[in-house]
Amino acid sequence: MNNAQIEIQLIASLVAVACAIPGTFLVLRKMAMISDAISHSILPGLVIGFFITQDLNSPFLILLAALTGVITVVLVERIQKTGLVKEDTAIGLVFPALFSIGVILIAKNANDVHLDVDAVLLGELAFAPFDRLMIAGADVGPKSLWIIGTILSMTIGLLIAFFKELKISTFDAGLAASLGFSPALIHYGLMTVASVTTVGAFDAVGAILVVALMIAPAASAYLLTTNLKKMLGLAISFGVFSAISGYWLAHWLDASIAGSITTMLGLLFLIIYLFAPSKGLIAVMYREKQQRTEVSLLTFLLHLKNHSETRERHVNHLQEHINWQKVRAKTVLDLALKNNMIIIDNNIVSLTQKGDEFTSKAINYIITNEDAQIEDMKDDFFLFRG
Amino acid sequence: MDKKIAVQVDDLTVAYNYKPVLWDIDLEIPEGVLMAIVGPNGAGKSTLIKAILGILKPIAGSVSIYGKPYDQQRKLVAYVPQKGSVDWDFPTTALDVVMMGTYGSLGWIKRPGQKEKKAALEALEKVGMLPFKGRQISQLSGGQQQRIFLARALVQDASIYFMDEPFQGVDATTEIAIINILKELRKAGKTVIVVHHDLQTVPEYFDWVTFLNVKKIATGPVKDIFNDDNLTKTYGINYKVSIQE
Amino acid sequence: MDIQEYFSLVFSDYTLRTITLGTAVLGAVTGMLGSFAVLRKQSLLGDAISHAALPGIAIAFLITGAKDSNTLLIGALVSGLIGTFWIRGIVTKTHLKSDTALGLILSLFFGFGMLLLTFIQKQPNANQAGLDKYLFGQAATLVESDVWLMAIITGLCLIVLLFFWKEFKLFLFDADYAKTLGFNTKFIDILITSFIVLAIVLGLQTVGVVLMSAMLLAPAAAARQWTNSLSKMVLLAAIFGAFSGVFGTAISASQNNLSTGPVIVIVASVFVIFSFIFSPSRGLLFRQIRFISNRRDLEQQKTLAFMYHIAETHENISHPHTIKILNNFQGYTRKTLQKLVDKDYVTLDGTMWSLTEKGFETAANLYNQQAIKDE
Repeated sequence: MNNAQIEIQLIASLVAVACAIPGTFLVLRKMAMISDAISHSILPGLVIGFFITQDLNSPFLILLAALTGVITVVLVERIQKTGLVKEDTAIGLVFPALFSIGVILIAKNANDVHLDVDAVLLGELAFAPFDRLMIAGADVGPKSLWIIGTILSMTIGLLIAFFKELKISTFDAGLAASLGFSPALIHYGLMTVASVTTVGAFDAVGAILVVALMIAPAASAYLLTTNLKKMLGLAISFGVFSAISGYWLAHWLDASIAGSITTMLGLLFLIIYLFAPSKGLIAVMYREKQQRTEVSLLTFLLHLKNHSETRERHVNHLQEHINWQKVRAKTVLDLALKNNMIIIDNNIVSLTQKGDEFTSKAINYIITNEDAQIEDMKDDFFLFRG
Repeated sequence: MDKKIAVQVDDLTVAYNYKPVLWDIDLEIPEGVLMAIVGPNGAGKSTLIKAILGILKPIAGSVSIYGKPYDQQRKLVAYVPQKGSVDWDFPTTALDVVMMGTYGSLGWIKRPGQKEKKAALEALEKVGMLPFKGRQISQLSGGQQQRIFLARALVQDASIYFMDEPFQGVDATTEIAIINILKELRKAGKTVIVVHHDLQTVPEYFDWVTFLNVKKIATGPVKDIFNDDNLTKTYGINYKVSIQE
Repeated sequence: MDIQEYFSLVFSDYTLRTITLGTAVLGAVTGMLGSFAVLRKQSLLGDAISHAALPGIAIAFLITGAKDSNTLLIGALVSGLIGTFWIRGIVTKTHLKSDTALGLILSLFFGFGMLLLTFIQKQPNANQAGLDKYLFGQAATLVESDVWLMAIITGLCLIVLLFFWKEFKLFLFDADYAKTLGFNTKFIDILITSFIVLAIVLGLQTVGVVLMSAMLLAPAAAARQWTNSLSKMVLLAAIFGAFSGVFGTAISASQNNLSTGPVIVIVASVFVIFSFIFSPSRGLLFRQIRFISNRRDLEQQKTLAFMYHIAETHENISHPHTIKILNNFQGYTRKTLQKLVDKDYVTLDGTMWSLTEKGFETAANLYNQQAIKDE
């Protein structure tokens, strides 16, 4: 590995971390698509800022572009408030318009602006090490590294300072307001951080891939844990892992680094989506199948408890009357027998003592929704977990 | 002589996302009653109606309308969903919404004609909304919107009417207007089933009641079974009148 | 070439005619279907689908090596549909919300597509110049067969719309109710979604992946402001879409270096802004005017009610009072007083005012109405 390679991986990792932090809160606050809107609509701010500063790495330009991001959020909210269109339509109307203005500004001033539309979408991570920051004639590293490093340390600082407020306002906005934390302040604070991060990351990974770095690690982490701190930690590690493995994928394929990082994020998400222990697709499908059987079992037991007539308790009644198609009656019958809940005598099914108690407890739980009584049942039955 | 059974529910169990909300419900609704379904929040009142109408698929059990599965009898059944279940900013007029009640008997592709329009106008007249027929639906008050929904069900000219909280968020005048129409329907021999949450008005409005809380607690004539015992069984010891489901 | 020249050439020049027809047809079909997307609250689905189509284009190119746009469109269609169904899978099977699912599919598919595109660019034999246009769209690359394809799909879409109009309307407004009436809502849903995906894929070559969603939303959002009828809304959206297409193409063709997509989107956005402000029934301008005039009416009514209370205490309602009494009253201004005089509710005599018979009655009625409302 040469120096440039290390620097690129370092920049990519810092971008990933800087995106994962606000991204986690956006996902939790159901505002993921706002990051899409911001990442597109900062473009005109970036171009206009460039006209003024003539320097893509100027802090002033970053602030100006970030301001466009916040303006986007405000604009979306204002349009939503008019009630003329539905909420998501407002997002969908604002950002393409602003992005188009940006693209047209670039195209009309192609000779003056050294921005290229491909770079807007993809970033130029590969060239990042060549733009060095010189302080007093000494080379202190690539400019992008310093920019994203500064943004990241600010983000981390804010995260630590306001962690409690962020947490409360994310999970219970009403409570936050009653405790005196202005939800609006936290909302716009988060939007500002997301905008600044997007601008800082834009240069490296481009508009749409910022969205991937914000949403995918957080969404993957959310499938594994609901603990906020763990989720942040996981999201950051997923981001960094994808950044580094994505770099090597790009190296191997000789393709876009940003595209490769996103692809790695995609693969990671796919794996977690399928295999996450309790919230992954396979786990969910297995649980649903189990629950189906268990619900059928309970229905069956309850039916036995409710009906003393022998006609209603005949084995054949299962097929005829209860009309089960999804779960074979035999599975249910076997399960009940195995658990000693029923006895079959002359094709007439009756509840055992154990079955009777179990059914009473279960139905009681279902009606009252009180957890304590069924602690011991949770191990045996999916139905009563979570 | 026993009355005919309009709706029969056998061993019905329904689950949302495989979490059961209705357990082993057996229910017989005789023809010609005006019945309230009462129970606390989350008792599965709306779910019961939706399962009977085939909007939700039950896990177990069966439903029959006059002895046959719902699919074969849909023309005998009309439905008034909860007012909050649709987008009232939808670009359409009151008359248009009421016309939708005729779509079922028209079937696929066939368009409504003069006959359907006449039926819709008559229904609007019946609920006192004829002057508002051309109004965009978002410009109607909550009570007026509810009347439009009722008119849409009346157009279906059914034998059995299912209504999900028709008195929710309506003004006093509308409430009286609606209950009068429901009583008229009963007089005409129709069966009306209403998800209801105002226990105070049950004896005044209805002649039949079903207590529901995940499982069926009791069902029968209001004068026989609308008592403290059943109320306590349904709502628990900390019995409270619920606002809405 | 400037815009005038463009419009003078549009009927004679083959290329210009093709492009213009193409964007017009495209705008019409996306506007029409966009109305459904907007009313179903699936506005952002279009954005996700169009981005999700990109890897399909690249893979179709990698497999067939063809630059033929129809082959690439089939790739786009397949990957767009996969994206759509994956979004549904995420929303129904996990606890992730729809906005997260949309953002995920949008960015992940797009990133993968970009990986493939850059990979293709580096291939020595790849004549890849054609693929870039799918990012921002190049109407100039439309050929007659493309326009034919669009026209056929639009025609098909129109026929389906006419046949299933009643079902679509019912489904969009109240899907549960549609189900109880015996309509197969799954079928209607799949029909609508498939046509939306198809329209998006058709537009990729012209408008591009990045901005395609605006073509779907903007005409529909603009049209919604002008009418309260679904059929008129769909028709208007088609017209707005077609005009956005034509104007956008005209402007981008008359300038150097401008992709079609962004210009069409700007034109469509102008339609939206205009509609938001100037629509007579919903627009912000008229809403503001109504608000101000309501407030003025209210002030007038307040003044009148105040006078009524004073006049009430006298046997003769027309008993004159000094204007000074009114000075302590908030609703009173010279202007409101003059308005009341104009309406013949009040007569002025020097510094004295008195209520007329008409004014007294109006005020009394006002009072009664208020009392009824309060009950």
